[in-house]
Amino acid sequence: MPPFLRVLGVTKRYGSHVAVQDLSLDVSDGESVVLLGPNGCGKTTLLRLIAGLERPDTGEIRLGGRVVARAGRNLRAGRNLVPPHERGLGFVFQDLALWPHLTAREHLDFVTRAAGMSGGERAERARETLALVRIEALAGRRPHELSGGEQQRLALARALVARPRLLLLDEPFSSLDRDLRLALREDVARLQRTLQLPSVYVTHDRDDAQALADRVVEMQGGRVTAEGRT
Amino acid sequence: MMWGFRSARTPALAAAVAAFTVLCGLPLAYMLAQAGAAGAAYAVLLLDARQRALLLNTAALGASTAVLATLIGAPLGFALARVPLRFRSVWRVALAAPLLLPPYVIALAWVYLGGSAGLVAAAVGRDVVSAWTYSLPGAVVVLSLVFYPLSMLTTEVALRRIEPRIEEAALTAASPGRVLRTITLPLVTPAVAASALVVFVLAVSEFGVPSLLRVRVFTSEIFTAFAALYDFSRATVLALPLVTLSFVVALLATLLVGDRLLVTRRGGGSASPLAYEGWTRRAAAAASGVMVIALVVPVVVLAREASGVASLAAVIRGSGEAIRTSLALAALGATLVTAVAVWVGYARGRASRRAGAAADVLLIVLFAVPSTVVGVGLIGVWNRPGPLGSVYGTDGMLLLGYLARFLPVAALALAAGVRYVPASHEEAAAVGGAGWWQTMTRIVLPQLRLTAVAAWTIVFILAFGELGTSVLVAPPGESTLPIRIYTMIANAPSAEVAALALLQSGVVLVPLALLACGIAARPGR
Repeated sequence: MPPFLRVLGVTKRYGSHVAVQDLSLDVSDGESVVLLGPNGCGKTTLLRLIAGLERPDTGEIRLGGRVVARAGRNLRAGRNLVPPHERGLGFVFQDLALWPHLTAREHLDFVTRAAGMSGGERAERARETLALVRIEALAGRRPHELSGGEQQRLALARALVARPRLLLLDEPFSSLDRDLRLALREDVARLQRTLQLPSVYVTHDRDDAQALADRVVEMQGGRVTAEGRT
Repeated sequence: MMWGFRSARTPALAAAVAAFTVLCGLPLAYMLAQAGAAGAAYAVLLLDARQRALLLNTAALGASTAVLATLIGAPLGFALARVPLRFRSVWRVALAAPLLLPPYVIALAWVYLGGSAGLVAAAVGRDVVSAWTYSLPGAVVVLSLVFYPLSMLTTEVALRRIEPRIEEAALTAASPGRVLRTITLPLVTPAVAASALVVFVLAVSEFGVPSLLRVRVFTSEIFTAFAALYDFSRATVLALPLVTLSFVVALLATLLVGDRLLVTRRGGGSASPLAYEGWTRRAAAAASGVMVIALVVPVVVLAREASGVASLAAVIRGSGEAIRTSLALAALGATLVTAVAVWVGYARGRASRRAGAAADVLLIVLFAVPSTVVGVGLIGVWNRPGPLGSVYGTDGMLLLGYLARFLPVAALALAAGVRYVPASHEEAAAVGGAGWWQTMTRIVLPQLRLTAVAAWTIVFILAFGELGTSVLVAPPGESTLPIRIYTMIANAPSAEVAALALLQSGVVLVPLALLACGIAARPGR
């Protein structure tokens, strides 16, 4: 079976700084890949390229066999670049990026409505997903009324509610204390087993990598330097 | 706070606050007291049908201008903040320029274009638009074209304050249009609404535009009551509804956004530039359209009208005195205002949360006091026998006018600057053994340099174009350029008036154009 996500020879520059250099990466269906490396090694940029928040300077990205990004002169202004919301992804950001004016339920409703679900289906899916991350009792609360751990769970629920084809996580637990971090890591591992969802998880923490990865990809200076199964 | 009551801080700030109270608060307090005393005799003024129509006109002018300026400005602010426009900084300067021109100059240009003997009438062969030019809707359009940059800049700042990831998280799930509607707009609505309220206050406080376009509102009525009818009591009573309206709206604006209208904090980094890149062409077209209507058309019309002047040199010579007086007084006024505003701004910047919020309301209300009300108040305070009276009848009255009108806005800007200087900087100096005065001159003031320069520039521009207060308090025989233009409109050839208006605009536009060229020439733009 061909890999679900294919990154082929992708380079991304910001001025003279090369963030990602001629990088290739495959992720199979249901596989959990952890990108491991120090700050500034290009992990987050790679995730943003996959999500469609940045455009590659060279190379190509495919999702489920479809080209979603390809560098080239004729591909400007999104003609061949599939915009982020049409890629079927869930993204958990490092700083969570929760919407301060919406309740937990409204967070999920925004995503499912954009995905074209009907009213009844949206309510059911929201209930189900909040239960999955164990914050169903907090559906009516806004982000500032949630604890740090609850906010992390809401960010996870938002990424999962439309049943994405690929889950991207950008150091989601980096700001948490150790106990909470372990608990949430366990939750993510459980969800991965339950949903069998391919995922790319960015971290600089080797314990996270060991706990969550089917495969660890190490990066340095915008390149892959080592790869190995756990 | 580490500074004791006996430090130099106490007398310095007390002196600043006292100066502020005398310069800004006293004229308004005097007006209110007079209005209270005259209230019984003139209460009927506020109730008759004529006054109700006046109130309705004033409110309609303010509300319509606030709506139209927001409809023009807010989308432009979005374009500057989110759409990857080329030469964005140049666009920002060009689109903000109309706010820096005296509103009556823009109104004058529209009169030359759409008046009964204007360019449109000449081109069509008969007068088809002057009924619209000299009307409430006409004044609304002109004022909106002057004030939309406020809404634009506030919207841009509010959008930049949003953490970029918040929008990116939404973009991974929904289209840019839906993200804009559901996530972005609700987050900037309070700031946009507050700027609309500020536009409302500025519009109802404006004197030159309604006066030129013959729209009856409170500001022009106060001017008539005082300058034509010499009825001081009538003028003060007429000011009451206007001051009340300004107070309520300024209070609402402060409640909506607190000090965030002035103190900005950028989000971390910038959002993905890809989301709105498809909107670039539309945004550039809209920005060009607005720039042409708000800036290019008025300047071209003034230039065309001025081209009929026999000798430009003679016109400039004839008004040389007024030009020199205006430049000198505006520079001196800006220096005095900034010199006082630094200390008032420091007092505000280091005030407790509650006192600071109250001070913000007070400063915004004082800035919102209409120019003609300030003028009448100043005359009431200073036109009397004794030492106070020695200032009356001199250019000092114009300087007092600039101080009364612009000290609040300069103090607000400097207070925002002070809050960027962490209190720990002062604490570190105090721990190191420095006194308050030494700390201010060596640590705090050097960090406020840029803000002070910005405040000085803004006040200079505002003072150079000031009309409503100046026209009331200027000593006989002396005149500034705005007063000269205003009085020449009625009794001098339009070409000469247009030439002077163009000159007045040039003082602001030429340095701005140079600034825009400098920005455009910077590498990486």
